[in-house]
Amino acid sequence: MPARFAPRAPHPAKAGIGLRTAHFEALAARSPALGFLEVHSENYFADGGPAIAWLERFRRDYAVSLHGVGASLGSADPLDAAHLDRLARLCERIEPALVSEHLCWSSAGGAHLGELLPLPYTEESLRHVATRVTAIQERLGRPILVENVTAYVRFASSTVPEGEFIAELARRTGCRVLLDVNNAWVNAVNHGTDARAILRAIDPATVGEIHLAGFAATEDGLVDTHGARVAADVWALYAEAVSLLGPVPTLVEWDTDLPALEVLLDEAARADAILAGARPARRVAA
Amino acid sequence: MSGAPGLAAMQREFAAAVTAGDADAFVAHLAGDPGRALRRLAIYRRAIAANRCGALRAAYPVVARLVGDAFFDEAARRFTHASPPREADLNRYGAGLPAFLAGYPPAAALPWLADVARLEWAWHESLMAADASPADFAALAGVSGEAQPALRFALHPSVRLVRSAWPVLAIWEANQEGRDGTAARDEGADDILVWRDGARVRLALLGAPEAGFLEAIMAGVTLGEAADRAGQWDFAPALARLAGLGLIAGFHAGDPRPA
Repeated sequence: MPARFAPRAPHPAKAGIGLRTAHFEALAARSPALGFLEVHSENYFADGGPAIAWLERFRRDYAVSLHGVGASLGSADPLDAAHLDRLARLCERIEPALVSEHLCWSSAGGAHLGELLPLPYTEESLRHVATRVTAIQERLGRPILVENVTAYVRFASSTVPEGEFIAELARRTGCRVLLDVNNAWVNAVNHGTDARAILRAIDPATVGEIHLAGFAATEDGLVDTHGARVAADVWALYAEAVSLLGPVPTLVEWDTDLPALEVLLDEAARADAILAGARPARRVAA
Repeated sequence: MSGAPGLAAMQREFAAAVTAGDADAFVAHLAGDPGRALRRLAIYRRAIAANRCGALRAAYPVVARLVGDAFFDEAARRFTHASPPREADLNRYGAGLPAFLAGYPPAAALPWLADVARLEWAWHESLMAADASPADFAALAGVSGEAQPALRFALHPSVRLVRSAWPVLAIWEANQEGRDGTAARDEGADDILVWRDGARVRLALLGAPEAGFLEAIMAGVTLGEAADRAGQWDFAPALARLAGLGLIAGFHAGDPRPA
């Protein structure tokens, strides 16, 4: 059977944007040059109807990244086989360039909380998450990328720093890393830690994607709203990451208070400029 | 069972701290200043409530408009507490809200509210249903007259039937965007066919006999039995209407599982 889509990898030095329903028409009309489009996988789990039809339409012109918010890699609940079946079906249908999930948990006792909740960074967590990442990679027949999340609280029981936890997870499972620079910044500010520590801990060769987004400053600290332009401090941290990692497919995420498509394209162009100035790869492995 | 008992216990307590009860005891598990940790937990508590309520609001916009924000948020809070999402995909959350509203005392003054909710859930399901091609009707002509009563039909996956003792279609239409909420009819016991036509969900009023016939077909009974239930009423135009809308996805004679 002929491939339904030409294989398409994200352009390594061209930023992508999150695909949002409100932008479907404008994006289809303009077809701007973008490295890739990213969607929340679960928003395309429906068996049919307009959402998946739009995604298939955009897939003809763009590489697509499926970014899951529901696999709950760190939950003590059993993996949801029906959820993974839907994700696998979507992968077959869309042939994504990248498939990612979050280093978090989101259900307890079978009740789903719909949030990306933090894990204690312990050997128990590491063994548990590694087992589940391996199971998901076997189910999908491909490596996934795992993203560092915003953690508004930290656990007294944590024994290793987040960056080392993620680096070890990648070593044990062969998963790749989705480095969210905004999350790294938000966590560092909220907990008074070093935002660069995660950059130093992770093997550059394992980083397959970078996320950028905007946060809101509140009296309880920075909140990762994905509802604003990327902050100046985050752009600076991103430039450092790119100089360390070489050009990596970069996503501008925007989920709340969604502006016009032009604003996202403008942010993506800014990331493009930084990517274009990057030395091509100080990557240690193929 | 999970091989991570420490994680399981922590997650149960964390979930309780951000959805119910109070979080004071849980703060002992967290690093840093306890007062600040408590305020940070509240960020999760607010986000979880907003996500769940937002999923319900997205599926039930007319109910939300009919009762107003404060009423809807409180009903959603009680519903999510009693029936939290059982799967990660919140686009599928909220099937139980109509039944919840039917038994929710503050909604007693709006006896049609649960039926409006049923119509909205049917709309929501129809939007997400699988695509399917209409059946080949040339093949139907080949079915002999004697074999016709044994026919069973499979309808398009997006087809739903909502039967109500209230004029819920008029209420639904009056509360769409750009409408002022004044229903064109204040009487009626609406039987409503819900289906998806390309990217759009459509709603159409059915006569009671037509709805009864459709209900029988959807339940998988044979054409003969559906016709018997319809009595003197001629079902042929109703069947032609379904076919004309492209809603008959398959038919089969003699097999309880139509193709």
